[in-house]
Amino acid sequence: MAKTLVIGLGNPLVTDDSVGLRVAAAVRHILGDRPDVDVAEDYWGGLRLMERLIGYERAIIIDAIVTGAAPGTIHRLKPGDLPTQHSASAHDVNLPTALEFGRKAGAQLPQTEDILLVAVEAADILTFGQRCTVAVEAAIPAAVEVVLQELNRLTCGEQR
Amino acid sequence: MKRISIDPITRLEGHGKIDIFLNEQGDVANAYLQIPELRGFEQFCVGRPVEDMPNLTARICGVCPEAHHMAATKALDAVFHVDPPPTAKKLRELFYSIFFVTDHTTHFYALGGPDFVVGPTAPKAQRNILGVIAKVGMDVAGKVLKMRRDGHELIKMMGGRPVHPNWGLPGGVSRGINEEQRKTIEQLGREAIEFARFSLKLFDDLVLKNTEYVKLITGDVYIHRTYNMGMVDENNCTNFYDGQIRVTSPSGKEHAKYHPSEYRQYVAERVEPWTYLKFPYLKKVGWKGFVDGEDSGVYKATPLSRCNAADGMATPLANAEYKRMYETLGGKPIHHTLATHWARLIEILYAAERWVELATDPQITGKDYRVLPTETPTEGVGCVEAPRGTLTHHYWTDSRGIVTKVNLIVGTTNNNAPISMSVKRAAEKLISKGRLSEGLLNMVEMAFRAYDPCFGCATHSLPGQMPLEVNIRGPQGQLLERLTQYI
Repeated sequence: MAKTLVIGLGNPLVTDDSVGLRVAAAVRHILGDRPDVDVAEDYWGGLRLMERLIGYERAIIIDAIVTGAAPGTIHRLKPGDLPTQHSASAHDVNLPTALEFGRKAGAQLPQTEDILLVAVEAADILTFGQRCTVAVEAAIPAAVEVVLQELNRLTCGEQR
Repeated sequence: MKRISIDPITRLEGHGKIDIFLNEQGDVANAYLQIPELRGFEQFCVGRPVEDMPNLTARICGVCPEAHHMAATKALDAVFHVDPPPTAKKLRELFYSIFFVTDHTTHFYALGGPDFVVGPTAPKAQRNILGVIAKVGMDVAGKVLKMRRDGHELIKMMGGRPVHPNWGLPGGVSRGINEEQRKTIEQLGREAIEFARFSLKLFDDLVLKNTEYVKLITGDVYIHRTYNMGMVDENNCTNFYDGQIRVTSPSGKEHAKYHPSEYRQYVAERVEPWTYLKFPYLKKVGWKGFVDGEDSGVYKATPLSRCNAADGMATPLANAEYKRMYETLGGKPIHHTLATHWARLIEILYAAERWVELATDPQITGKDYRVLPTETPTEGVGCVEAPRGTLTHHYWTDSRGIVTKVNLIVGTTNNNAPISMSVKRAAEKLISKGRLSEGLLNMVEMAFRAYDPCFGCATHSLPGQMPLEVNIRGPQGQLLERLTQYI
């Protein structure tokens, strides 16, 4: 099993909510069959995301975010940086809570400092549509670059 | 008029916000839900092949994609005028039972349970799933995690991929199960029954043996005498996958029993100027506003409503628990909103028992799991019970099977009016002369949370704001006081 998971979260049918999936798809294309990295897509944060991380040593999570910054802005975050009790998901708990729950349940999970979130500021997360808005679409190559840099940093053991 | 805003609701998905309006005396005048809604789904679907609908609709909800997948698949049966063979129906119901156990488990342990297990007045930071396991023991964390993982693994095994199955087809399903898979499903189903019994025991020990909690459940803050809706089988027992829709009155009499395709004769939708939410009500009773009673068409469609609308559960252990609930809480129907948590646990037990019944059915490994449709597609309704209420999909197509119109009534939508009423009632009881009672925020949220609502649910983007904010505004809208949590 690969030791690192790159996972895009989102809904492919809801405009900018799909950006995490698009970035993950581009990362997969670039990485090819690199054996030490799995690239995946999913839909839910919280408990389900925690369950997806079981067995990995490191993870990069890519998602849309709404903070009020300019659409397309790329944020690098740690799980604890999210200023909310909400999860990145519905019907669920937030990621730090889910991680703590998983560890208490005996699951083998990455250390919190080995989990990174790359979040792209969204403009529209409420309209059905199979394309991102212009600013978010334009940010995808830069977001891919950030993911690859972070991946390199994590897997090469460079300065954290 | 003063205005109190709670935005958004902690531990509730979407970005819900409650506005509570106070009158000049500082008492509650009104309470409303303000929630975002995804836009443009119907336009998105029109012009696409109707066979895409099980996959498309599964993505409109981040909470119960399996429910949408199943309602859509059943709607396709109707659109193509095809009746699936028994093996297909049983496989679908088996899949659906596994989903129900998994979904309800999450609600009880992560969302609804903390209020009771940890306590409604416990510090906010402890009132979550971690607080639950701290109270009841670390081994429970392992049980919950296992239950969820088992459910997800089986959903993936049967449905073809995790979360969003690509399995349902008009006339059946795309693949069956072999004997080895069946054995695994049966074994995990037996473990699910034990998990459900364990959860009910936990509820017994921690909630029912606590007189304060029982007082809270049966008190006058969380009660509404409305009609109740649920799907029933030929014996009027609850069924999640198929049957007729039964509606019973606040006094427990049968108001209606109809085939899901007749829903428009029985259910209408009220539009209010202050929100884009629709408020379904019983057409034959009529809309009388946000009020309860026999003369008001407001109805609930929740786990508790399903119990109230049925005569019992079709499996022995769940039926015994069903009877015990009514004996304990003073007979049928039960109108105490917080008893919904108990009903949800009984439904976990029923779904787990049904899971094993179906996994041990001789036809379940049959190869006859699809009938090819041969008739021209037209129009059709598909209906299942979603964990949070009756879910109806209605599609219209042209003769080539291209979607021309879509109408959905999703689980939570049924409950829009009673949720508003529950919030208002809780606020009325807790706010007096402009003063906020201690614990107001959570007590108001508890009224909401019992319904397990999902709003704006297809989107899940990381929210960047504080989870809970209460703004109290004076008659001109000026901010008088601001209370926050988790900031």
